[in-house]
Amino acid sequence: MRKLFIILGIIASVLALVLAVLPLSNLAYFPAIAALLFGLMAFYISNKNSQSVKTVQLVFLLTIIALSISIYKSIFQTVEVGNTEELQVREQQSEEEAIEELEDLDLEDLDLE
Amino acid sequence: MLKYVFILSLMLPSWAFSQNSAFKAGEKLSFTASYNMSGVLTELAQVNMEASEVKTSKATLLRLKCTATTYSKWDSFFKIRDLYESYVSPTSVKPYLYKRDIYEGGYTKFVQYKYSHSKGTVESLIRKKKKGGGTYDQNKTLNISSSTKDIVSTIYYLRTLNLSSYAPGKNMSLTVLFDNKPTEIVISYLGKETINTNIGSKTCYKLAISIKNSNVLKGTNDNLLWLTADENKIPVFAKFKVAVGNGELKIKSATGLKN
Repeated sequence: MRKLFIILGIIASVLALVLAVLPLSNLAYFPAIAALLFGLMAFYISNKNSQSVKTVQLVFLLTIIALSISIYKSIFQTVEVGNTEELQVREQQSEEEAIEELEDLDLEDLDLE
Repeated sequence: MLKYVFILSLMLPSWAFSQNSAFKAGEKLSFTASYNMSGVLTELAQVNMEASEVKTSKATLLRLKCTATTYSKWDSFFKIRDLYESYVSPTSVKPYLYKRDIYEGGYTKFVQYKYSHSKGTVESLIRKKKKGGGTYDQNKTLNISSSTKDIVSTIYYLRTLNLSSYAPGKNMSLTVLFDNKPTEIVISYLGKETINTNIGSKTCYKLAISIKNSNVLKGTNDNLLWLTADENKIPVFAKFKVAVGNGELKIKSATGLKN
């Protein structure tokens, strides 16, 4: 039982850490909470049977790192648009081309006042 | 004084017949697109919608431009730089030229439709990347009905509808040309609703959107669009549900409004 909780805890905490590093840091909370729960269970069982808690500490450590990265990201990282220079150039070019195309088009039925 | 009254009376018919009272050149709308992953909304991209004037030697058209740009944190994973344009009549929002130039995580595609409303045709050009490098063009002439629009002009056209006269439950169908296929979209008016947005609390017209004979959009009444219940009919909020999850489009800012 203890082993199972430790394994689940490690899997969940590693998953939390991976998600926390990725742009999906918001999603890291779910595995982090799961890892904490598994860790607590394993800790409780280990204490009861007076077994080593070293691996359980690892689970906690990984989870705390994951949680701090996620919380830091959600507080301090503002969403911003990346480099759009290339897109702006494309927009400009597209407009110029469009004007040429429109000159050739049959706009006679254009319902302008 | 009389002079002004006279000028006003001259202008009145044109106001009365002009269908587009919702937007004008110079309008800029900015949205945040989020994707819902297991209950957590993740902000993915910024969507901008801009209307500007374009002058040719014969006429003045309205350029409706929509861009989608992923936020920088996503750029190294899945970079999106999409450009959708439609050149339309400023009054009836009838499209004359449509351009779609997309870049989505390495995939590029260019689509252009040249409308000829008198002939009832569209000249379509699709340009794709070749595997070995370079591009290839695919030209086609498609037959369209007089009300067929592209995706961009359809969004703007929705804003010109007189939704205040609609009874809840009313349906209307529009034909949208997408990927060379005329697709029928059914819009149903669900009623008014007041929602909180970044530009204040707004009373909105709530519309449900579905595509006929297609299963891209999932669920009934799960794809919704809220347009403000004023003259501007700004799209302030949209919800969509597709096979891989659901997402939202929320307004961030709106400038250059007509009313």
